Amino acid sequence: MFAALPRILRTSSFRLNVLYAGLFGCSALILLAVIYWTTGVYISNSLDAAIDSDIAELGNNLQAGGNQSLVAQVKDRVQQTPNGPMYYLLQDPKGQILAGNVPQAHGKDGRFDLKVPRTNSPGAAVRAHGITLPDGKYLMVGVDALARREMHKLIVRVFGLSLAVTLVLAFVGGALMSGSLLRCIETISQTARDIMAGDFSRRIPTRGTGDEFDHLVTSLNAMLERNEAAMEGVRQVSNDIAHDLRTPLTRLHQRLELAQRRARSVEEWRRTAEGCISDMDAILETFGALLRIAQIESGMPVRRFAKVDLSELLRTVIEVYQPMAEDKEQTFTADIVSELTVWGDRELLTQMIANVIENAMKHSPTGASIGLVTSQSPGTIAVAVSDSGPGIPAEERAHVFQRFYRLERSRSTPGSGLGLSLVEAIAALHQTDIELIDNGPGLRVTLRFRAPVQRALAGGPLAQPQTQEESAVGNGAPVVGRRAVQRRGGAEAILSIFLPKIFPGQPCPSAGKVAWEEPLGKKQEN
Amino acid sequence: MVARCQKASLRLKILLIEDDGENADYVANGLREEGHLVAQVASGAEGLICAMGTDFDLLIVDRMIPDLDGINLVKTLRAASHHTPVLFLTALDGVEDRVSGLNAGGDDYLVKPFAFSELVARVAALGRRPHTTAAETKLHVTDLELDLLSRTVRRRGELIELQPREFRLLEYLMRHAGQVVTRTMLLEHVWDIHFDPRTNVVETHISRLRSKVDKGFGAELIHTVRGAGYCVRSPA
Repeated sequence: MFAALPRILRTSSFRLNVLYAGLFGCSALILLAVIYWTTGVYISNSLDAAIDSDIAELGNNLQAGGNQSLVAQVKDRVQQTPNGPMYYLLQDPKGQILAGNVPQAHGKDGRFDLKVPRTNSPGAAVRAHGITLPDGKYLMVGVDALARREMHKLIVRVFGLSLAVTLVLAFVGGALMSGSLLRCIETISQTARDIMAGDFSRRIPTRGTGDEFDHLVTSLNAMLERNEAAMEGVRQVSNDIAHDLRTPLTRLHQRLELAQRRARSVEEWRRTAEGCISDMDAILETFGALLRIAQIESGMPVRRFAKVDLSELLRTVIEVYQPMAEDKEQTFTADIVSELTVWGDRELLTQMIANVIENAMKHSPTGASIGLVTSQSPGTIAVAVSDSGPGIPAEERAHVFQRFYRLERSRSTPGSGLGLSLVEAIAALHQTDIELIDNGPGLRVTLRFRAPVQRALAGGPLAQPQTQEESAVGNGAPVVGRRAVQRRGGAEAILSIFLPKIFPGQPCPSAGKVAWEEPLGKKQEN
Repeated sequence: MVARCQKASLRLKILLIEDDGENADYVANGLREEGHLVAQVASGAEGLICAMGTDFDLLIVDRMIPDLDGINLVKTLRAASHHTPVLFLTALDGVEDRVSGLNAGGDDYLVKPFAFSELVARVAALGRRPHTTAAETKLHVTDLELDLLSRTVRRRGELIELQPREFRLLEYLMRHAGQVVTRTMLLEHVWDIHFDPRTNVVETHISRLRSKVDKGFGAELIHTVRGAGYCVRSPA
């Protein structure tokens, strides 16, 4: 039934508005009823007071021994107000009207309302008080309740009007709000359609109001940003592969072709094969590095993050590289603050630090000094690796993180040009800043980690400290000992489900059924 | 022809679960040349049945195989208390892939493409595993003695001072005495490094270790196996 309505009337905000308007209307009606009733009572009371004072006056006049009888008094008053606002009725005990301007006879005691028929109008509503006098006569004094009637009319009119205005405002406001909501939604879905159509750079415009919609839009834009970066990463990798793998593959191809044309002896073929394998290894290394960078840039391993003892990690890496530096006659000094902890992936962090150190060692000459210094300030942990090598010219520093970028003078040294790209990718994943500055002489690479405390407070999966070991167990570590025993029951169940489905009616082959192939000939010794 | 360390290498009963025919034949024939017995199956389901029904020394499992993928195959086996060592072969080189493979119950992980010498070395290392589970306190290779409790190394009774990491390196080599141990195996087990450093880290450390363990004792115990890795054994 909603589908037939215009779109704006189907929005949730409009429906909410109508609901509120309905609720408001109901409460207004209750209020109206209460006011209607209380003003009625109030006015009736004041009318009653006027009647009572008139009755009292009649009584007083009689008691004071005035020369007028009650009948005369009533007749006198009726003459003064033949058509209201005061109404009188005096009857003898038999019900005969003795005096008064009320046409019918009455006999009701107490306070009541009655209608007095009039000649030229529908009849007046009258508030009356009837008393049976000690001598058996019946006296009724009434007063026109016009004031009460008018007041009630007024109240109904005012309430009706304001209710109508409220409902109109609710509908109009609802429509307006829904309209603006719809426009926001429409902008978002239009952007989504544009992005689906291939325009990945599109973003949802914010309205600058800072409301929840802007908040949502900001989050969505951040998500789109992230997605675009991931897509860009994939595109970049395919470009890189085309660009940097084609060259060595071409070389490999040429080498093989050349051998096909020229090679005559087994020795020549063997040498070609060796060359091809080493070409292939280089290609695979580049390929692996590219994939790894792409994988890291896509942000995949974040859920493996755990608390990492950076100090211990640095010491291990230094332990690995220090002897190599000594072999190169480079001095490698390290000053590591104890108990530095960061959030991250241990393996990737190791690789990042190793790459930075390797880079420093590789590009520094014999006799150079390499230093690793850590420092800690609130919220930040800095690891600085400095060397006394040739450094990187300031204008080239921004480029060294690009894939396959190599300084002119490094072209002759081995390397894929991917080391620092990988460092940058890992750093970005860990929200770590990298700074390259002149060490005068040499280069100083500073990695600035955010201290884990802040990130833990930021919530999310990082909020619960968990060591790498614990998380490994949580993921289902190798099944040994007790765990294996506990799981056995489940395993039989799994097997009983699997096997009949896979091989219906086929028994498990026994040892005898496995076709053994004997080793091909005797082994040859080197 | 892969360089070997010892004349009589262990003859292992290996089940190869790999669906790519050419690669399967390459691996199987290569391992047969090494003297192992190799049975081949091409699907996960068959592999599971064979592995459950026969007593193998080692399973070589490709991760992406039809019917039942390698990870679930190994999980199922492990859950059924089959503790045959498993070596995963895979083209999946993700940071997470290795961890998920090992968590599933795999004992080692080798990424395609691999050097055949790497496979042979890892197969040999895994094949020996069950025999070395007994608690050993001392490792011996001829006159070299490594005491796991006091963390000391002696050769001809003479104490050799080693750094902790050098001790671990020697320990790993001696645990696999007579077998080829590759660079990557050392990086993974001694330094817990799971990437390929482009510098000769292992060579440097081995040469340091050599200078302490072999220098001055005449007979060399740490041997370089060209194109494959290293091997600790008594002099030929």
